[in-house]
Amino acid sequence: MQFSAKYNHPLFLLAMSLLLLASCKNKEYALPTAPDNLQNDAIKRTLGPNIVGQTIEFAYAMAIKPSKGKLATCDAEASIAGAAGTFMDNKSYFTKSNGADSGVVVATPSVNSGNKTSITYNKDTSAATLRYYYVIPEAARGQSVSFTFTATSSNGEKISMKMGPYTISKMDMVRNLAVSNNNMAYISIADTAVYNAANAAANAAKIDLVYLYRNLTTSTFGHALVSPAADTSYLPGITLPTGVNRSTKTQKVFNMQDYNLARLQYGGIFVDDIDFQKIDLSNQPNYAINLKAEAGVWVETADKKYRAYIYINSVNANGSAVISMKRYAL
Amino acid sequence: MKKNIFISLSVLLAAITWISCKKDRPVDEDGLLITTRRECYVSNFELLGTDYVTVRVGSAVIDTTAQTVKVTVAFGTDLKNVYPQFTLAQDCKLNPKITGRTDMSDLANPRKWTVISGNRQIQKEYTVQVTVQPR
Repeated sequence: MQFSAKYNHPLFLLAMSLLLLASCKNKEYALPTAPDNLQNDAIKRTLGPNIVGQTIEFAYAMAIKPSKGKLATCDAEASIAGAAGTFMDNKSYFTKSNGADSGVVVATPSVNSGNKTSITYNKDTSAATLRYYYVIPEAARGQSVSFTFTATSSNGEKISMKMGPYTISKMDMVRNLAVSNNNMAYISIADTAVYNAANAAANAAKIDLVYLYRNLTTSTFGHALVSPAADTSYLPGITLPTGVNRSTKTQKVFNMQDYNLARLQYGGIFVDDIDFQKIDLSNQPNYAINLKAEAGVWVETADKKYRAYIYINSVNANGSAVISMKRYAL
Repeated sequence: MKKNIFISLSVLLAAITWISCKKDRPVDEDGLLITTRRECYVSNFELLGTDYVTVRVGSAVIDTTAQTVKVTVAFGTDLKNVYPQFTLAQDCKLNPKITGRTDMSDLANPRKWTVISGNRQIQKEYTVQVTVQPR
């Protein structure tokens, strides 16, 4: 049978309408069916660079149908053993109606053995999410760390999940160093410490910056980090301890509230190893004056052994400030 | 009949293509439109430090007759690494272009920039004189 051309168009439209009608049909919702075997999943909860001494937190979830069995054990194995303080929380958390986390003890306290952190369930539990806190050890600096989470159930099933590898930063971090005018004013990047004049003289070769505050009427000097070797006009009224004479490159930064250092509610900026590797401070001055709270200063030591980012947590008009620093050994 | 329609459409298409490709709006070597505007001056000037915060103390004084910009910067400003920002009359452009940090530390030999009008026929050289605030 052959249709004449004048019927082709309406037939095509009819076919398209039927197709549209069929495609718009709603599928009936069906409750998902839980798999029969032991299940697991994991997320890394901490963001930003992994810094030695800090914690990486994971949430590891595991579940089995109650008709099949109960959860028996759970362990986390790191490729490099965690530092003291590494543990797995023996509480399973749920979120209350007010949004707060609430923990229910489901297991014995975790036990560390070598690279492995283990817990044994002591409550009848079919599903739990446990948190694992890995304190980054010195041995992991500059290396990669991987994790294997394993759960077992009373019916003999075993399931594992690998996470990582995660690169551990080479840099160090030190927070909340109090500096004050004419007292705790001498900053050593090598030691990530602040000294007074007497101790600065004893560590003269390691003093990179002098903190000072001047409230001048003719200019906005304010809070400053100045190299001992800077022009004396940037060190008004300062008599340097004997031997303190290094020239440190500095570059002022504003609006870079590093999340690790600032720990403010807003965040998302993380200074990491790559920033220290890439920054070029060769053409920068050896002083930074008129520093405000939440400002920062990139620093390179005279011997080019270290680069650092110094963040100004707070300043006080009486001539003191709180600083934090990330430091990278070149 | 069909043949005639086809030929007419082809001619029309060719004509449209030719018109659309015609270059009636000249652009300069930077791809910027050359207009008929003859205005040629600096209307505002800003100077930022490496932290992108202004280093000026007070407003910059712009003399469009003497073709100078006088600006006082805070004591301690690192003039080797500053970002000058010019606001120009409409359609003007600046030469040389400012592409990043600029060294303005040689106070004895102030930096000069040339403003070029929208019609690209008028050029005016501005001298930026920097004074450092005393301590």
